[in-house]
Amino acid sequence: MTGLLGLSWRLLRGGGRGGLLGAGLTAVAVAVSTALLLFAVSANLAFQGRAEREAWRNPVAADADAVAVQAVRRDYVRDRGVTVVDVAALKPAAAPPPGLERFPAPGEVWFSPALAELVRELPAGELADRFPEKIGGTVGDEALVHPGELVAVRGQEPGSPVMTVKAAQDPLTGTAPTRVAGFTGEPTGDAQAYQALALIATVLMAVPLLVFGGAAARLTVARRDQRLAALRLVGATPGQVVLMTVAEAVITAAAGAVAGVALYGLLTPLLGGIEIAGGSWFAADLWPGVPYTMAVLVAVPLLVGLSAVVGLRRVVVSPLGVARRETPPAMRVVRVLALLAVLAVVPTLGAGTAAGVVAVVLGLAFLAINLTGPWVVGLIGRITARTARRPARLLAGRRLIDDPRAAWRTVSGVAMTGFVAGFIGLLSPGSGLLGDADATTLRLTVPAAQVSQLTGEARERLSAAGVPARVEVTGKGGDRTLAVTVTEAARVDEAVIDRARTALDGMVPGRGATSEADEELFGVLLLEDVGTGTVVVLTVSFLVAIVSAGITAASSVLDRRQTYALLRLAGTPLEVLNRARRAETLVPLAVMGGGSIVVGMFCAVPFSFSAMNVSGLTVLLACVVLGFAGVAGAGAASAPLLRSVTANPAPRPD
Amino acid sequence: MTAVLEGFDLVKRFGATVALGGVALRVGRGEAVAIMGPSGSGKSTLLHCLAGIMKPDGGEVHLLGQRIDTMRERERSALRRTRFGFVFQFGQLLPELPAEENVALPLMLGGVSRGDAVRRAREWFGPLGLGGMEGRRPGELSGGQAQRVAIARALATRPAVVFADEPTGALDQATGHDTMRLLVEATRGNDASLVVVTHDPQVARWCDRTVEVRDGQVLASAGYGAPLPPGGHGAGGYGDSGDFGDFGDFGDFGDSGVSGVSGADGTATRILPGVNG
Repeated sequence: MTGLLGLSWRLLRGGGRGGLLGAGLTAVAVAVSTALLLFAVSANLAFQGRAEREAWRNPVAADADAVAVQAVRRDYVRDRGVTVVDVAALKPAAAPPPGLERFPAPGEVWFSPALAELVRELPAGELADRFPEKIGGTVGDEALVHPGELVAVRGQEPGSPVMTVKAAQDPLTGTAPTRVAGFTGEPTGDAQAYQALALIATVLMAVPLLVFGGAAARLTVARRDQRLAALRLVGATPGQVVLMTVAEAVITAAAGAVAGVALYGLLTPLLGGIEIAGGSWFAADLWPGVPYTMAVLVAVPLLVGLSAVVGLRRVVVSPLGVARRETPPAMRVVRVLALLAVLAVVPTLGAGTAAGVVAVVLGLAFLAINLTGPWVVGLIGRITARTARRPARLLAGRRLIDDPRAAWRTVSGVAMTGFVAGFIGLLSPGSGLLGDADATTLRLTVPAAQVSQLTGEARERLSAAGVPARVEVTGKGGDRTLAVTVTEAARVDEAVIDRARTALDGMVPGRGATSEADEELFGVLLLEDVGTGTVVVLTVSFLVAIVSAGITAASSVLDRRQTYALLRLAGTPLEVLNRARRAETLVPLAVMGGGSIVVGMFCAVPFSFSAMNVSGLTVLLACVVLGFAGVAGAGAASAPLLRSVTANPAPRPD
Repeated sequence: MTAVLEGFDLVKRFGATVALGGVALRVGRGEAVAIMGPSGSGKSTLLHCLAGIMKPDGGEVHLLGQRIDTMRERERSALRRTRFGFVFQFGQLLPELPAEENVALPLMLGGVSRGDAVRRAREWFGPLGLGGMEGRRPGELSGGQAQRVAIARALATRPAVVFADEPTGALDQATGHDTMRLLVEATRGNDASLVVVTHDPQVARWCDRTVEVRDGQVLASAGYGAPLPPGGHGAGGYGDSGDFGDFGDFGDFGDSGVSGVSGADGTATRILPGVNG
């Protein structure tokens, strides 16, 4: 056992420049995979962390054991939301809300760091005057969704008007006073929606990563199978061959995985800057923690080892498996049936389906495409070879028939990205739905009985603040709405609106003046986040796809260097070889990329908000162009390698 | 005998190692020349320099009077494709192409349409004893059969010279014997010259004469292959001349000291595509 491992290690080290290059390429591929896998894991944990940190502001009613009253209101400054939490202790021993050292005393306000800074920066009439209370302290990170979040926690008497208003409020603008047993709360629906989206994004990223990892593993095998077949010929048992292969692949992958963790560490500051839900991330959010990191560090090399075993099956079964090239048996149509079976399930899904089920179906669709890919590539190869008129096409077609799996590995990444792009392209809601709402009219709900008194007070307050505005009363029934329109006599900008908002603050307990634009802020942010998520997922997919294409192209050149060298030696122009290589990549890419986009779009149909829209089409078009350019570029990058391995076909001085 | 290929004063170094130290060789039309020598003697380097695969550090190579060692890679590549054929020990057939497409490939590279190229390729299979194997892939052929496909491929473009590097190195004696017979007969039958690198005297016996290379020098005892005196022959001096008086008559194999005139068994079958099938 130890002897075999030692031999594997020596074979790995003594593989020469070509062998080391192959192992190096594998390690790079595994490192990229590991870093992106950690990112996928961390993203889910990060959204979970946000949901947990936000939960205390979503109170759960507990009448019997209540220790405090809590009211939450959504306020706005500039184009940002401010969460104002009013708390009043019912019992002296009431534990403080998260992030606060002690329970805020009545008449005290605690700011989050970002809000404290904004209060200092802006003129008092625009923000600070809304919080006349004494500053009690700073709300800690453990109570904030993101570092830039604007949160104020005010201490109140249990009987104060803010803590006793009964009117039900729009959940968009806040939660009415609620008696709570503690500040645990429960995750908000929005936070859960983000977690579900993160899970789907993870599946979209993780499957190509696993495929990529598998391709990287087989790259090691491709470089070794000749030698391992020779070992079989001299009498090594299948078990020994498997062990040596796994050992070699795992050693390489372990090195790659460690490098991947380091790479992820370096990337964290960059990734932490990605703004989702109105803010970036705490550094700790994107650190998956020791257990998850260890799990990834163990799982990645194991998966690579497993892929290596699968890749070696041929050699293990027959020592001549790789020494003799025979016409490979055609792949079974059952592969296509697997894809059709998954697609048959898709129409049964809908917007109400649990995110977990959607993620599983998406994952299965991915795997089914991966199963079908080689079959389709083989078919394309037969058609290409049959119709080829020039040598480059003939070579490409025959190569595709000979090893459709290898050709699929080169294009699978981009094909998978096509699936993602097709899915997201249809899923993205149109950008024109939101964003042009009225920002100059603030509305404040007031009890009908106090309308005339409050209208007068509003005019006085606005006048005192120097805001020229028209105040009108709209609505019927118990609640009326004061519509305060900042008149055009003044230069209507954010500062004037904030002055009006501040002037009106506190006029009606528990309610703030908000504009239509404020109320749409969440929707606008969500749209932006879907856009950001799309860009992140597609960037990751493309990175994987293009690195994968580059690595497989390079390994293909290395694996076939003798054939290429002899062809060139016999006078085959380098351009013909390069053209053949291009054709054997781009022809299946065109078919499979297009096919995957269609499958992705089909999977998105049950969830699509609207028909195909301009932004979705733009994303798709960009994907097609980037995909082709990227894979063509990655293939072209190995052209110098081809030139160098064929430049001197007989370097030995014999 | 008209000279087809000539090398003068060829020098090639690999770092501090001198692979060729001023070698001359001349190959007549239809002549089969064996280059022999132990491992590391420089015989393959000589073949590569003559075939335009490598540029020699010194000396000249002429094909039909035209200097080829100064050509650019693109031109030499075209030359190899159209005027030379190659047979190696193994590995020269593309594993993913059926035998007939392996033979047709050089023709297609030369601009022949696929249909014509495959038709012309198939004509070689019968004469070389490969009837019925046109659609097989190299992995489905024996070593000897694969070498015969390689011979067909080397001759398909009607080259002036066929270069063979240890063509029987991976074959057993009987198969090697058959392969060499076919190689010599097919080359001669198509008016091509043959340059074979080998360390096996049995292989060399099939050739018209043998040149012995050792330590980057052609041994003087090999006769025709002796190094030329500096400036002894100007460039192009042989292209239009049938007179090789300095080196004796190319047709006189008796002086070479190597047996074997037109095959070990003295037969002189002409192998032509589509004839002996």
